Amino acid sequence: MGEFEVHRVRFFGLVPAGVRCLACEPRGGRLALARTDGAVEVYNFAANYFQERVIPGNEARSVEALCWAAGDRLFGAGLGGDITEYDLARLCAARSVDGCGGPIWSMAANSTGTQLAIGCEDGSVKLFQVVPGGIQFERNLDRRKGRILCLSWHPSDTHIAAGSIDILRVFDVCSGQTVQRIMVNYHVQKVKRECIVWSIAFLSSGTVVTSDSFGRVQFWDWERGTLLESHTVSTSAVLSLAVSEKEDSIIVGTSTGATYQFQLLPVKMGSLEKRWVRTKPFQHHTHDVRAVAHSSTALISGGLDAQLVIRPLMEKMQKKGYDAALRKFTFPHRRLVSCARKARLLLFQFSQHLELWRLGSTNKTGKDGEVLPLCRMPEHLVQLKSKGPEHIYCSCVSPCGSWVAYSTASRFHLYRVQYEGDSISVKKVPKVPKLLPPAYQLQFSADSGSLFVASARGSVHVLQLLELGGCKLLHTFRPPSGSPEAVYLLAASADGHWVAAVSGDWAIHIYNLKCFKHHCAVPAYSCAVTALAIHPVTNNLVIAYSDQQLFEFSIPEKQYTAWSRMVQNCGLHRVWLERDSPITHITFNPKNPSHILLHDIYMFCVLDKSLPLPDNSALLMNQSTLKQLPENARQRQLHAFKICKKFQPLLFADLLDENCLVMVERPIMDIKTQLPLPIQQKKFGT
Amino acid sequence: MRLAAEGRESFRGGGQAGGVGAMARRQKAAAAGKRGPPAALLSPPSSEDEAPEEVSFGVAKEAAETERKLVGEAARRHRELLKEKRRRRQELFTEQKKRKLLPDAVLKELAAAPPARADGRAAAANRGKHGGDGAAKQRRGQAQRQVKTDKQRKGARSKGNYTAVRLKDQSLTGLHLQLAKDFLNTQLYGPDTNRAQANEFFSLENKKNPVKKAAVQFVDKSWGQEKKQRATRFKKHWLSTQIKNQV
Repeated sequence: MGEFEVHRVRFFGLVPAGVRCLACEPRGGRLALARTDGAVEVYNFAANYFQERVIPGNEARSVEALCWAAGDRLFGAGLGGDITEYDLARLCAARSVDGCGGPIWSMAANSTGTQLAIGCEDGSVKLFQVVPGGIQFERNLDRRKGRILCLSWHPSDTHIAAGSIDILRVFDVCSGQTVQRIMVNYHVQKVKRECIVWSIAFLSSGTVVTSDSFGRVQFWDWERGTLLESHTVSTSAVLSLAVSEKEDSIIVGTSTGATYQFQLLPVKMGSLEKRWVRTKPFQHHTHDVRAVAHSSTALISGGLDAQLVIRPLMEKMQKKGYDAALRKFTFPHRRLVSCARKARLLLFQFSQHLELWRLGSTNKTGKDGEVLPLCRMPEHLVQLKSKGPEHIYCSCVSPCGSWVAYSTASRFHLYRVQYEGDSISVKKVPKVPKLLPPAYQLQFSADSGSLFVASARGSVHVLQLLELGGCKLLHTFRPPSGSPEAVYLLAASADGHWVAAVSGDWAIHIYNLKCFKHHCAVPAYSCAVTALAIHPVTNNLVIAYSDQQLFEFSIPEKQYTAWSRMVQNCGLHRVWLERDSPITHITFNPKNPSHILLHDIYMFCVLDKSLPLPDNSALLMNQSTLKQLPENARQRQLHAFKICKKFQPLLFADLLDENCLVMVERPIMDIKTQLPLPIQQKKFGT
Repeated sequence: MRLAAEGRESFRGGGQAGGVGAMARRQKAAAAGKRGPPAALLSPPSSEDEAPEEVSFGVAKEAAETERKLVGEAARRHRELLKEKRRRRQELFTEQKKRKLLPDAVLKELAAAPPARADGRAAAANRGKHGGDGAAKQRRGQAQRQVKTDKQRKGARSKGNYTAVRLKDQSLTGLHLQLAKDFLNTQLYGPDTNRAQANEFFSLENKKNPVKKAAVQFVDKSWGQEKKQRATRFKKHWLSTQIKNQV
């Protein structure tokens, strides 16, 4: 099939931020996640846990609490003292209201989603009303000394339980008075530490569940002010707690990275008396678990090691299949690396800066699996720092390597990079057309003559790049029926004739660049698009969906190709459909028109359309067995999917020229050594 | 007898006869032995039996005065000699120092360089805009290099532990935010919290495996950081002295 020289790149120093808050949407299957750098992400459970929306963070914004209210409105509050509403269609922080209580430590919505309660630094609990335009301050509840670190509404919305330092308080919502005050410190003489109540939950039976910094999960009767049960789960703090909707299962997360499930079980078989029992321990994280959530079928935890772990509960699953598998997400489901093929440059996108590297080269050849010595080392050419606290939304480098563009929430930047022998000069392009910021995706055309900018409301701007270093707006494409969502993926054809755009409502529109008109829309599919690309020769649009389906749509003919129909008829291999991570990049080999190269985080695949498709009984990853077979036996066993799992975790893979591949990996251990400190584990014999 | 007495006289009275050296010696002995043995003991033993000579007050006073004058002159001469020696040595040092420094002409040129550099750079930039010939770029490159070395020198000198902030940037919300963050940090990462270094934590597995492996961060780049920094600074300084000497 082919021998490639692989540039194995491990100098992309990406360190994802830790997970700080999780919030399950009450009705639908969506999960909102906030990270320590202020970024907010939304995962869609139905679309195979795809990360469908990302709002990049901000240095000035810290998110300590996240909640859904009034249906599908997302609110966040943090140590900056503001309550922010996030606009998920336009992927930005829409409105923010000052809480007037200092830093906000916690926020909770009532069961109907009409009121928000926030717990502030000054010890007050404030109530806000959720109104169509935003939120409105309603009133303050009784204020006492001590910062309110966690809050929970009673399911009937009559009382609020709040945890503070050494104390747990219950408020009556109507009168605003404190009706109960319980001391939760550790009654041992020698211990002088204060007991921090990190999280709290109010059950409908009147039981208040708290987790504190001494590693205890305690159940209180709030009316009598007594302790019902106390479980010590850990020697370090228990940082987070979440209760299921049916109130029979609780998940807690500790500082050591362990999570535990508590279940309400009858004391004896058939007895009516029930007790909380610690049932399942899990160790999915290495660092503190600061956020947990309980959906109807799964336990979800997010740790400071930047991992999101979704553990479906077996007793809730109908059958044992891929649905019941553990899902772990560490890396984003988008491309953070762009490649300039001809110039052999890579552009790495960090949260606040970009790095441009030139690949090294070798002049030796070798056999399969050999490591070749470099005659020129990879060079770090340019580092572009973005000014201001906002994080970068997207970035791109042109195929010739002389244009670099990136966008933050409020500004769009375009740079001209010139190479004179050994020296590089970077010049900012002045007078960039005033487009509505931010740009959600950027894509240069194949001849580096135009730049496509993905914008809000489904529109795509075409900017023409001038030789002298300027640019002007040529045209703006809009979908014919309008769209409230922003475009998040773009693909341009090699002949400069077509551009395809995918917006947040999962509709793919194709536009004609020669006559500046809308060409067609791809038939709607029930899942999110994760990658798309246009073939340079046949102008077929190859689409990868988040449920691992692959489609090929012919743009000139405005219909799916015969190969695509065959794939849909036969179905894809079971192992292919049970992959955990989405395909983030599709590319082609100009010398072999029937090849499609794709990759996800754990594999790289060359799809040969001329070969037969494997059925479920055949082995999908058969490269190693094929190598051992003789030539004629090999012909019989060949199938279309040639998968290589040697390079993991893979952030980006591309074909530089006919014999050369570049693979950008990010070993997990390199990330873990740069994270905040984990809790010490004493192991026998070390 | 008479001779002995004369000798005694001459010894006691002292001074008019005899050279400076001898006088000085006698005066020194007299000064040293102020409280020392009387002259009677130092004279020859035959004259011990006799009574001491009687000398008039005026004569003794004169003798003492002349003695003092001579001593003073000698001391003054000694001091002047030392001063002379010191002056000569100082001149020698200044001459050596002058030899070490660059000639005056070069120093003046360097002192005049900063204002000229800015103009030079502007001129070069202008030239660059119009054409972009190699010479202009070279000059620009040189100027930039000069600026860099100058900055390095300046930086090496003023290395303090201070940061300058604007009062306008320090707001109340900023202070609250900082307090909140500090509270969180102490609770999670404070002294009581039993945290381990990443290297220790992740190498536990490597050590407990049946096939033992090395630690995750076997070589720590931060080892000997201070020594490496001192070594680079010394190297820079040594190179610059070598260049100066050659000039």
